Amino acid sequence: MKHVIAYAEHRQGQTRKVTFELASEARRIADALGGTASGVVLGAGAAQLAEQLKAYPLDVVYVDESKDVDEFLLDPVVDSLAAVAKRLGPSLVLVPNTLSGRDIAGKLLVRLGAGIVADVVDVEVEGADVVCVSPKLGGAIVTRCALRPADYGVVTVRPNAFAAAPGGAGATIERLEQPAGSYAAAIESDVEEGAGELALEEAPVVVAGGRGLGGPEPFDTLLKPLARALGGAVGASRAAADAGWVPYNLQIGQTGKTVTPNLYVAVGISGAIQHKVGMRASGTIVAINKDGAAPIAEFSDLLVVGDAFRIVPELTKMIETAKGQVS
Amino acid sequence: MKIVVTVKLVPDPNAEKRIDPTTKRLVRTGVETVLNPYDEYALEAGLQLKERAGGDSRVTVFSMGSAALKETLRRALAMGADDALVLSDTALEGSDVWASAYAMAKALSTLEFDLLIVGGLTDDSSTGAVPGALAEHLGLPCITNARKIDVGDGKLEVERETDVGYQIVRGSLPVLITTALTFGEPRYASLKGIMGAKKKTIGTIGVSDLSLDLPVGTSGSKTELRSFAPPPARGKGRTVEAADGVAGATSIFEFLREKKFV
Ligand SMILES: Cc1cc2nc3c(=O)[nH]c(=O)nc-3n(C[C@H](O)[C@H](O)[C@H](O)COP(=O)(O)OP(=O)(O)OC[C@H]3O[C@@H](n4cnc5c(N)ncnc54)[C@H](O)[C@@H]3O)c2cc1C
Ligand SMILES: Nc1ncnc2c1ncn2[C@@H]1O[C@H](COP(=O)(O)O)[C@@H](O)[C@H]1O
Repeated sequence: MKHVIAYAEHRQGQTRKVTFELASEARRIADALGGTASGVVLGAGAAQLAEQLKAYPLDVVYVDESKDVDEFLLDPVVDSLAAVAKRLGPSLVLVPNTLSGRDIAGKLLVRLGAGIVADVVDVEVEGADVVCVSPKLGGAIVTRCALRPADYGVVTVRPNAFAAAPGGAGATIERLEQPAGSYAAAIESDVEEGAGELALEEAPVVVAGGRGLGGPEPFDTLLKPLARALGGAVGASRAAADAGWVPYNLQIGQTGKTVTPNLYVAVGISGAIQHKVGMRASGTIVAINKDGAAPIAEFSDLLVVGDAFRIVPELTKMIETAKGQVS
Repeated sequence: MKIVVTVKLVPDPNAEKRIDPTTKRLVRTGVETVLNPYDEYALEAGLQLKERAGGDSRVTVFSMGSAALKETLRRALAMGADDALVLSDTALEGSDVWASAYAMAKALSTLEFDLLIVGGLTDDSSTGAVPGALAEHLGLPCITNARKIDVGDGKLEVERETDVGYQIVRGSLPVLITTALTFGEPRYASLKGIMGAKKKTIGTIGVSDLSLDLPVGTSGSKTELRSFAPPPARGKGRTVEAADGVAGATSIFEFLREKKFV
C-alpha cells in the first residue's frame, strides 16, 4: 500500500478535531510510503469542511454532498470511500475510532479485502510495512500489528492520539460523482443530545462525575463550571449514566467511550476496572473522593480525600481567578 | 421468527489483565471464561424479540472459538436460547478480523434467520469491525447500536445510539443488528433455565463443513502481530487529606499549576 486516505467525519459541516489529526497523520504516513495523502468529505456541509481541510497538508480532498449520506445508514459512506480507495489502488484508509467509524471500518474491510487494526495510537512505517500500535484488553497490553503491504488497510484511529499539524500548499478539491444508490436502512430522524458541547473523546480536559455526586444537578452546578474553567468537557461513570443523571454518550469506560485527555479529573468516582480502562491512558489524573482507600488512588497522580461539594466550587473559583489575571 | 445471536467467549472482563513478564503471555490462571458482555445484551434483545413474536420463534446462539470452552455457552441456553452452534477448528487459530469474519459468515450462511443480532464490541480484541464485515459478506443491511427494536409485518424500526444522541432507522428483514448496552439488562438464568439447558443441543462444526474459497487462520489473515508489551507503568501518585473545601481545592490548584494546566 502506498497512498493514504483520511475520512473526515463531521455533522452538517461541524468539524471534529480528529479529522485534522487524521489529515496530518495521513500526510506523514504517505510521505514515508512515497504516496499521496487524500481526504474524503461527504454529505451536507461537505464543501465547507473541504475548504477548512485546505489548511492541512493533503494532496486531494474528495467531496460529495450527496443527500444519501445523511438519509441512509452507513452504506453511502462506505460506497464513496471504497470508490476513492479503488481509484487510488492499495491504500491505507484512516477512520476515527468512534461508533460510526467502527461500523464503517467493518464494512469497508470486506469491500477492499483489507486488513484492519483498531484503536490505533501510533503508526510506524518500516520500509514498505505499516506497523500499527494499539492497546488491547482494556489497555493491559500494547500490540504492534503489521498490515500486508500488497493489500489495502483500514485503521481506526483513537481521537487525541495524533497532533493536528496544519501546513502544505492547499489540497485540490475534487468532486466525487457517486450514482444515487438505493439503500436498505433509512434514517427517519436524527436527534442530537447535549448539542454544542465539546466532543468528549477530543477534549483536552475531561471532568468526570460518578455516583458520589448523588444526582443530576451537580453535573450542571459543579462539574460544568469546573470543566468550562479548565477548557474541557464533562464525562461520567456508568453508575451516573445508569441512574439517568447524564446521557449515555457521556459514559467513559469499557462499555462507554475511551478518552485520553491531557488532564482527567474524576469526581466521586471509585475507579472500578471497567471505568479505569476507558481513561487510564490520560496524561494526568486527579481524583476527588471521600474515601482515601478507593481504587482510583492506585492510578491517580493526585488524590484529594474530601467532599466534592466543598472542594469543587472553591477550585473552580481559584482557576477562574488565575485565568482572569492572566488574560 | 428465527433469530441468531453471535456470542464470543472471552476472559472475564472484570478480572485485571496482566502479561507475564517472562513468558510475555496473558496470565489466564484464575481468569474465568465468560460470555462477552456486549453479547449478553445481544442475547437479551434476541430473547425479548422471540417472546414478543411468539409462535414457533427460536433463538440460536452461534460462537466461533475453542471447543474446550463450548460448555460456557450453556449459560446462554440457560438464559433462554433454544440451541447453539459452535464453529471450532485448529485451522482457525490465529485468524484476524478479516479471516474470522469470513469464516463466521460462511458458517452463519448455513443457518436460516430473519434477524442476526451481533454484539457491538468484544472485550478481548475490541475492533467492533466484525458486525459490519459480517453484514457485507452476508449481503444483509446493517443497523448498529440499537437500543429499541420493533418488528412487525416484515418491517423494522430501530432506535439507535449515535456518538451525539440517537436516530430512528427503518429497514426490512432479514437484517443484521448490533445492540447497545441501553437495550436493557441481560436477564439472569433461572434454576429452571439452568436445568433445561442441560438438555439443549450444542452443535459443533469445523472448517470442512464450510465451503471456503479463501484461506483462514494465520495464513488467511491480513495482519500480523509483531510484538506486544505491557503499557508504560503508571506509578501510584500522592494522596492528600483535605481539612476542608479550601484546603482540598488549594492542593489541586497548586498541582495543576505545577503541571501548567493553569
Ligand atoms: C460489564 C460491565 C461493564 C461496565 N462498564 C463500565 C463503564 O464503561 N464505565 C464505568 O464507569 N463503569 C462501568 N461498569 C461499572 C463499574 O463496575 C462500576 O460499578 C462503576 O464504574 C461505578 O461508578 P462510580 O465510581 O461512579 O460509583 P461508585 O463505585 O459507587 O463510587 C462512588 C464514589 O464516590 C465517592 N463519594 C461519595 N460521595 C462523595 C462526595 N461527596 N465527595 C467525593 N466523593 C464522594 C465514594 O467514596 C465512591 O468512591 C461496568 C460494569 C460491568 C459489569
Ligand atoms: N469468535 C466469535 N464468535 C462469535 N461471535 C463473535 C466472535 N467474534 C466476534 N463476534 C461478534 O462480533 C461482535 C463484535 O466483535 P469485534 O468486532 O471483534 O469487537 C461481538 O460482540 C460478537 O457478537
